[in-house]
Amino acid sequence: MAYLTVSDGVKQFSSFRALNGVSIAVERGEFFTLLGPSGCGKTTLLRAIAGFNDLTSGTITLDGQDLRAMPPHKRDIGMVFQDYAVFPHLSVFDNVAFGLKPRKVPAPEVKTRVAEALAAVHLQALAERLPAAMSGGQQQRIGLARAMVINPRLLLMDEPLSNLDAKLRIELREEIRDIQKRVDIATIYVTHDQEEALAISDRICVMSAGHIEQIGTPQEIYGNPQTLFVANFVGTLNTLRAGEGRDRLLAGLRLVAPNAAHWTVRPERLRLAAQGDTTAPAAAVLPGRISKYTYLGREAHVQVETDAGTLVVQIANPGTRTASQPGDAVAVVMEAGALMAFDADGKRLPLEG
Amino acid sequence: MLKRFDFWTLVMIGTWGILLLLLFIPVGSILLSSFFDNTGTATLDNYLRFFAEPRFQRAFLNTMVVGFGGLVGALLLGSIMAFCISRFEIAGSRFVSLLAILALVSPPFIGAYSWIVLFGAGGVVRAWLRDFGITMPPIYGLGGILIVFALKFYPFVYLMVSGALSNVNRSLEEAAEGLGLTPWQRTFKISFPMVFPALTAGGLLALIQSIADFGTPRLLGRGYNVLATEAYTLYSAEVGSNMSMATTISVVLIVVSMIFVLLQRFMSRRNVYHGNMINKPAKIRLKGWRNGLAHFAVYFIGLCGAMPVIISIIYSFRRTSGPVFQDGFALQSYERILFNLGDVVRNSLTFSASAVVMIVIVGTIVGVLVARRTTLNTSLLDGAFMIPYVMPGIVIGIAYIAAFNTGPIVLTGTATIIVLSIFIRRLPYTVRTTSSALRQISPSLEEAAVSLGYSPLQAFLRITVPLIVPGIIAGGMLSFVTAINELSSSLVLYVGSTITMPVRIYLLILDGDFGTAAAMSTILLVLSGIAVYIAFRLMGRNEQALL
Repeated sequence: MAYLTVSDGVKQFSSFRALNGVSIAVERGEFFTLLGPSGCGKTTLLRAIAGFNDLTSGTITLDGQDLRAMPPHKRDIGMVFQDYAVFPHLSVFDNVAFGLKPRKVPAPEVKTRVAEALAAVHLQALAERLPAAMSGGQQQRIGLARAMVINPRLLLMDEPLSNLDAKLRIELREEIRDIQKRVDIATIYVTHDQEEALAISDRICVMSAGHIEQIGTPQEIYGNPQTLFVANFVGTLNTLRAGEGRDRLLAGLRLVAPNAAHWTVRPERLRLAAQGDTTAPAAAVLPGRISKYTYLGREAHVQVETDAGTLVVQIANPGTRTASQPGDAVAVVMEAGALMAFDADGKRLPLEG
Repeated sequence: MLKRFDFWTLVMIGTWGILLLLLFIPVGSILLSSFFDNTGTATLDNYLRFFAEPRFQRAFLNTMVVGFGGLVGALLLGSIMAFCISRFEIAGSRFVSLLAILALVSPPFIGAYSWIVLFGAGGVVRAWLRDFGITMPPIYGLGGILIVFALKFYPFVYLMVSGALSNVNRSLEEAAEGLGLTPWQRTFKISFPMVFPALTAGGLLALIQSIADFGTPRLLGRGYNVLATEAYTLYSAEVGSNMSMATTISVVLIVVSMIFVLLQRFMSRRNVYHGNMINKPAKIRLKGWRNGLAHFAVYFIGLCGAMPVIISIIYSFRRTSGPVFQDGFALQSYERILFNLGDVVRNSLTFSASAVVMIVIVGTIVGVLVARRTTLNTSLLDGAFMIPYVMPGIVIGIAYIAAFNTGPIVLTGTATIIVLSIFIRRLPYTVRTTSSALRQISPSLEEAAVSLGYSPLQAFLRITVPLIVPGIIAGGMLSFVTAINELSSSLVLYVGSTITMPVRIYLLILDGDFGTAAAMSTILLVLSGIAVYIAFRLMGRNEQALL
């Protein structure tokens, strides 16, 4: 049995069902991320594990123990909050030491453990300061040190980086990942940022509307999405327009899937070629015209109007070449292996050929 | 459902118990009494008499006139001051704010008395002007009442509106400027709607206080009677005291105040704007005569409002012979208080302190209840706490006499009844400040403590309580200011041994002993000042907390 399990978790609020039979299993030392848009139930699930909102039905076990029978303050679960929840009337040191008091840790040990925790988040110099005037990044480091220092059985993080600016978010997520690997503690991390989830997780659980869409490693989630929702939510996606152009293209690639309702392809799997250039054997060439060119520095997005709809082609490393002009004629090169098909319910279909 | 019968259920029951005993029974008593005549027969005669007799019609009309007069005066002075201070650079603007606070916490009806000293029949300024051949009418009557109300109540409007004005995002006005609106249009189409709720809220306070004020029309009115004074006259007449008519007037006063509160809520129901502080308005440095005019307006209003305080401090040190002032200065007035009236000061201090202790304890617990358990029950509780907020002091006094003079609980003539009357009037304030302070503390703070191993009660005591305590103590200090300055309910409830400073001052003025009155007012002012200072030290200089 896994370290942490939730089975058939249901949470019914008065007017809607936030969780609709959710089951997850998290292993020791695993970094497990709940990913989904707001309102998908990820925070509800996290708060049920923490004990702040009990489930309507279902079971939660941690190391074989029934968590739902235990009041939240006895669960020994560390939590990091979106709004930091740093105690404004306590110094940084006292904030971090706060959780050691009810654990009756002797004073000298408190000192060394708090000092270690603060060093891990690079705050040792600020130990005696009050947190009120500190930046969001520093406050969240306090929150992190405070949750880690008690050596909890499980660490929960509720969108800890969503109030920080982009650069800091990347920096801090790397640190969180490093610390988590070092102390080897099972962690459940909630986020709506797909890039963050891919960067930080051992496994990702994509949720939508109270149910689980797919659980898998970042590579599986991004590279092999099992539903249209996952494919759309994680990364970007071109959907081919139904019609003669698409049929011709699929026939050219010898792709067959009788129940397919949606044919999609990721922008980075497409290439642009000069007209008439056919290199790869299992590839089709779609002629089209550029309608928009977006330069982003390390990459560029070229929007092309073709028979099979509007396609965005991602060009890596566009360099300082002059931009292609809207109206230029180009050809989009598409390999058979790049295409993903989904049925009318959004389920992924296997492809032969 | 048995497990819900916990501590908070007991608090809920206790709170309704307190409201029943200290609010609903007294209000019910006056309501009941107003429907009976003096022989104990049920009747509508009192109300018919109220609407038929010219004496009461005039008092009703006069009440409306002073109410709206006070409202207009306070709005005018308050908005001029708020606009000038928040939009122009005024030298010493903090000092001017201090003058406004001084006017706000100055003992009641001392204003009336000081204006009599200056502009009364034998007024200093009038006598001085007469030397130049200028005769001006004495200040008595409606005009005097309105001047005193405007100068006493303008700080309500000033503090409310200046708070709102400094929260109007400058980008909004800049956007309007970019769209081609003239400065005049900008003020009326952008800034005015933004401060409208503050204007009506400040105006409402001025209106309610003007309607409820008893001391000023009593001292300055000279026959200009309002409902508050009529109620007191009917109640206190040695011969032919007419309790049922007094209670009828009380009911009318409550209804009138209630109507205005509801009206204000209705008027500003859609105008709730949340200012963001990103782009605060800048203050303009005026030049030339405009600058002079703005400074003159601000200082004129501020100094006139603080005039009563200045006058009573000066007069408290004047040499006296009996009640008559002599040339020169002495400490005689203070000596008289020290040797003859020490028990009055002690009464005021003990009554106010006990009321404040009760207010802080009960108000905090109920505030937590209202903030943390949002149910129909707590919303009703919140609503019920509006009632003491709009009850004029004189009405509370009469209601307590009506409820506790006979029957199972007899409290008339005790210190308890005075303490309880102060307690119930100020309790709503603490409940509101506590609950709004609690709502500003993120629930995740307590959740963090729980996740770290503290039980919910421990988390509340160790995290939430330390965060709200400074605010609660500060609120207690401000309640102390209100409590120690309370005149009108104490005037109805006092007996010889429970006389308080404001009542003594009122009686001293009626006796013509102005020196002692001024000295006692000064002591009262110093006590209030200390309380305000402590409050500001604890929560920063937050002038709006005084409202």
